[in-house]
Amino acid sequence: MKKTTTIPIGPQHPALIEPEYLKVSVDGETIVDVDIQLGYIHRGIERLMQDRNYVQNIFVAERMCGICSGAHTVTYSMAVENLIGDVEVPLRAKYIRTIILELERLHSHLLWAGVAGYEIGIDTVFMSAWKDREYVMDLLEQISGNRVNYGMSTIGGVRRDVSSEIITKIEKVMDVVSKRADYYADVFLNDKVIVARTEGIGKLDRADAEKFSAVGPTLRACGFDYDIRKEGYAAYGDVEWEPVVAKNGDVQAKAIVRLGEVKVSASIIRQCVSKMPKGDIRVKVAPNVSENEAVARIEAPRGELFYYARSNGSDKPERVRIRTPTYSNILTLKPTLIGQQLADLPIIVAAIDPCFACTDRVALVDVNKGDEKVVDGSYFRKIDRG
Amino acid sequence: MFMPMLFEILVYPGLLFILVVSLMYSGILRKLAARMQNRMGPPIVQPVYDVIKWFSKESIVPDEARAGYNMWPVVGVVAAFVAGLMVPMGGAAVLDGAGGIILLIYFLALSSAAVYMAGFSSSNPFGVMGAIRGITQMIAYEVPFIVSILVPIIALMGLGGVDYLSVSAINGFQVNNVWLIQLYPLAGVVFLLTLVGKIEMPPFHTPGAHQELVGGYSAEYSGAGLGMIEVVHIIKGFVVMGLAVALFLGGAGTLPVFIAKTFGFLVVLTVLRVVMARLRIDHILEFYWLLAIVAGVDLIRVILVPAGL
Repeated sequence: MKKTTTIPIGPQHPALIEPEYLKVSVDGETIVDVDIQLGYIHRGIERLMQDRNYVQNIFVAERMCGICSGAHTVTYSMAVENLIGDVEVPLRAKYIRTIILELERLHSHLLWAGVAGYEIGIDTVFMSAWKDREYVMDLLEQISGNRVNYGMSTIGGVRRDVSSEIITKIEKVMDVVSKRADYYADVFLNDKVIVARTEGIGKLDRADAEKFSAVGPTLRACGFDYDIRKEGYAAYGDVEWEPVVAKNGDVQAKAIVRLGEVKVSASIIRQCVSKMPKGDIRVKVAPNVSENEAVARIEAPRGELFYYARSNGSDKPERVRIRTPTYSNILTLKPTLIGQQLADLPIIVAAIDPCFACTDRVALVDVNKGDEKVVDGSYFRKIDRG
Repeated sequence: MFMPMLFEILVYPGLLFILVVSLMYSGILRKLAARMQNRMGPPIVQPVYDVIKWFSKESIVPDEARAGYNMWPVVGVVAAFVAGLMVPMGGAAVLDGAGGIILLIYFLALSSAAVYMAGFSSSNPFGVMGAIRGITQMIAYEVPFIVSILVPIIALMGLGGVDYLSVSAINGFQVNNVWLIQLYPLAGVVFLLTLVGKIEMPPFHTPGAHQELVGGYSAEYSGAGLGMIEVVHIIKGFVVMGLAVALFLGGAGTLPVFIAKTFGFLVVLTVLRVVMARLRIDHILEFYWLLAIVAGVDLIRVILVPAGL
């Protein structure tokens, strides 16, 4: 058996935006195995939620992730609304939620475009994409008061309204962003060196995408026409748009999907502001929720974000379980990395747009009994005293 | 006789001149690149601050470091400076004479190799991988480098009365006659491209790819050692510009011409830096070996038609 070298990528590494540990075994420059060890950002959020009431948990959910904080609050709100039962979220609130979600997708994908450029050594793309992203961040700040963690969604609607001056600004920024998306797509498709670094690299084939339950742009880059927004939650049923699908499953395809989604998001936002209904922005809900269980899922920038909630009659949830998109997509790193060159590792990892803040859970699998449980802090204290 | 010589070696066009202009060019490159990327960038004197900082910080030597860890950066700096003394900078080179170009090639190669040896001696997988990539890149560009350098040498061989192995002679010839890149464009362009690889500028900045290798060969270096490795880069950057001017870009008989031409080359390098992504090491190998063939065309030309001047 040929001797391989183990290169530790992580937990701290310039290629990674967040800490995780990829134990990469290489033979020369070729990757022969990858061991993915997570857990560096585990903060016990699901456990925290059990000790706080439903409203407080909105803000706990929000802080799961900085880039997709809006997605978390909206999905959580939807899950609790489903728990309560017949909550009629006002139409204006649904439109505002859609605008926030799509603005978030915009800033997330532009951030990603910059990071992708940085990973392949062209930091000019990074500077340029993040400059364009600033227009979106300015909008988010004007709408919500903050660049991340917007605190907009709540159970039963949204907490703040969007004024008409902001609506005018939104329209202007969407024009700029659409044009820039065309430019970046052109760069990723046509610049010779970028193409050499992304075409055919890190290819995920359809069978593996299905086997590992890939989601989001990672999935759509393999030819699957699957986008949860098509289920029509919030205001997505009221606007005309199509999911962006690419065929090849390589890094370039993932880039094309995301840049295409930037244009689609700009179009959705434009349609929302032009059709924005008047009305209330929230309905009141009671603090206690009777026994029930419910789920909600949306298409976050990275893919399907899934919330499960269970209530027990009190004002605190019995259990909230969060399955984030990177949790699924990270498994696809194994087939896409093995056989590739070490030099391509940063861009292949970046291509699934990983968000480890969202991903870390501690799961104990009892192989004898075949059941799995998520543990909280008291468990560790118990075994520590062992 | 002795005093002017000492002045030449130590001040102009010697060590002090090389050091000052290298630092200035490095600062200008960073500032220009920043402006091209729509940002402010550091002040032009930033490299001076960097050098002062590096040499004033604690140097942490890993326990596992192998023999040569301390020595190789010093070798690199010395080799880079000596190579600089052999390049004419608006007059004759300080250290010149018969066969000068051979020594120049050697010292330039030594300054690169020393840095990679430093990476090898740091017993860190990132350091070793960076060094491996660096050596691979050397294998890639040294061949077209030599092939293209042979062209001006052989061109001048047919003249007689000219020491064709002296960089200053080639420089002087160009000043009085014609830009060699006009006569032998293939070799000239290939030579310039190998220089970009030699100084590890984009798109050939693979060995020090910090996105992948945490700094590559300099990963385990801090303080003075790191300072020396970085100084090697800065000096080499300027020296190869001078070499390009002396061998292909028309030479420089006076200091202002020298500064103007090297500055032009700097601007081109900056544009490349801003526009190009990083090539993978196997792409680089393919590319440079292709260039070796391209330069070979001019080499055959110059051998067959020595009186082409």
